[in-house]
Amino acid sequence: METENENKTKAKNEHNSIIEVKSLIKKFKNKLVLDKINLNIEKGKTTVVIGPSGCGKTVLLKHLIVLLRPSSGEVYFNNDRIDDLKEKELDKIRTHYGFLFQGGALFDSLSVRDNIIFPIDQHYKITDWKQIDELVKSKLAMVGLDGYQNYYPAKLSGGQRKRVALARAIALNPDIILYDEPTTGLDPIRSDIINEIILKLQRELQITSIVVTHDMKSAYKVADRIVMLHNGKIVADGDADYIRNHPHPVVQQFINGQVDEDDLALLRMKGTMSQAQFLPSDFVQ
Amino acid sequence: MFAVIGIKTFDFINDIGRFAKFFWQSTIVSLNCFLRAKAYPLIRTQMNIIGVRSVPVVMITGAFVGMTLAIQAYDQLAGMGLEERLGVLINISVVKELGPVLAAIMLAGRIGGALTAELGTMNVTEQIDAVRSMGTDPIRYLVAPRILALLLLTPILIIYTDLMGILGGYFISVIQFGINSKAYWSYSASFVELWDVAIGVVKGFFFGVAIAAISCYKGFTCKEGAQGVGQACTEAFVSSFVSILALNFALAIIFKAIYFTFWPIKSIV
Ligand SMILES: Nc1ncnc2c1ncn2[C@@H]1O[C@H](COP(=O)(O)OP(=O)(O)OP(=O)(O)O)[C@@H](O)[C@H]1O
Ligand SMILES: [Mg+2]
Repeated sequence: METENENKTKAKNEHNSIIEVKSLIKKFKNKLVLDKINLNIEKGKTTVVIGPSGCGKTVLLKHLIVLLRPSSGEVYFNNDRIDDLKEKELDKIRTHYGFLFQGGALFDSLSVRDNIIFPIDQHYKITDWKQIDELVKSKLAMVGLDGYQNYYPAKLSGGQRKRVALARAIALNPDIILYDEPTTGLDPIRSDIINEIILKLQRELQITSIVVTHDMKSAYKVADRIVMLHNGKIVADGDADYIRNHPHPVVQQFINGQVDEDDLALLRMKGTMSQAQFLPSDFVQ
Repeated sequence: MFAVIGIKTFDFINDIGRFAKFFWQSTIVSLNCFLRAKAYPLIRTQMNIIGVRSVPVVMITGAFVGMTLAIQAYDQLAGMGLEERLGVLINISVVKELGPVLAAIMLAGRIGGALTAELGTMNVTEQIDAVRSMGTDPIRYLVAPRILALLLLTPILIIYTDLMGILGGYFISVIQFGINSKAYWSYSASFVELWDVAIGVVKGFFFGVAIAAISCYKGFTCKEGAQGVGQACTEAFVSSFVSILALNFALAIIFKAIYFTFWPIKSIV
């Protein structure tokens, strides 16, 4: 009887959510960064998270893979609670994830090739190195960097690093990929290739993606759903059209890239600019 | 004022607690790694980085210690007509105390600093988070190989220091001061026991683990930015330094107790 009930509630909760966040609150010391976030990520869909710089997007993303622990609230992966697991138990769950860090986070001491092999080597016993090299080649080709196998991260440009990091994030064929600003620092054409990769992974492999971005063009292109974060709260949540026509002024300002009236007023204030340009009068040399 | 001291003390105790936890985890993981062939390439890489390039430094340290001891002690002993026993004094000081401690301090500076800077940089550039995000325990991948490498290498490096200390002492005593070479060695051989050498080398295991664990911990808990990394390095060196001296003191007591349990009576001269 009881199990039947449990099964029912479980089935009800399931409706294909791969990640579920319940009343997530995150404080650093006394600073409230995330304020009671509730979020349901559907399997196989691409969710885009937008929001002003410093509003807690990266912090939210890190909670989804429990690189950060909530101050309170819960995180579920495939309906199992994960935010209270030990690191050891999490390691197994994390192999289902790919995480693209905002700064790339490539290992400086490893070549591009070894960076991509790293996650594979950690979880599989590699016997056929030729096959692995083929795999590295194909992952790199995907991000347009085949031939860079023996470069070290220090020798790559910022955008190249990010693309290698993407190749590494998808090395384990994850079910879900968390992208932290995948197109920042890339030229428009490269950005669009990344968008295409996200779409391709979704269409062909049914991979769930969560994309943090400032790039509205990219957001509209890849999103099944857009979530806007502001002051630690979700202020808008819906598909691209819904967001485009959202009445909330904060949302409109953000998606149109308009500054706030208050910010403008600050700039307009007489004398501010010349004050800002003040330098000591003694110019040495 | 009292509140500040209170908070500082609280932070300090907190820090000790976290270090203890880190150390405990690292020990377990290191033991685990030691038994698994997969970790060996990582350990070998670290041993190459740590070992090979440290040899000249610790050898120079040893040579100077031996030579300085000879210069300092010669006059006093010669005044009593005991200069032939100079070797006993030099060699026992070198192998038992000065060799191990100074070699460890050199390593704390040379290796500990580099470890903290490397792991600290990895921490602030999110590389440690990246290791975690790929389902790997950063302690297993980053800390254990370094602890094991230092555990295995410090005693070996101490042996190098000892050898150079002995040679340095010999050089000054016999070649500079003209002490009879045969007498110098025979006194040394009869008073410096294998036990004394062994103590020095065994200390190396403890010092090595202390340096590695402290430096890795400081790297892992490093604060943001270049300044954070620099500060972590300084803290790592100071903590390693103090730990080496404290450990040396504790080990002296322990070894003495062990020694007297097995060989209750021993005359000094
Ligand atoms: N480890 C930390 N300790 C203390 N505060 C932190 C930490 N990480 C993030 N914060 C704070 O949390 C807030 C949100 O940071 P977060 O990195 O999530 O911003 P973001 O939305 O990703 O911004 P951006 O678009 O610039 O990357 C910031 O104000 C930051 O100061
Ligand atoms: Mg961010």
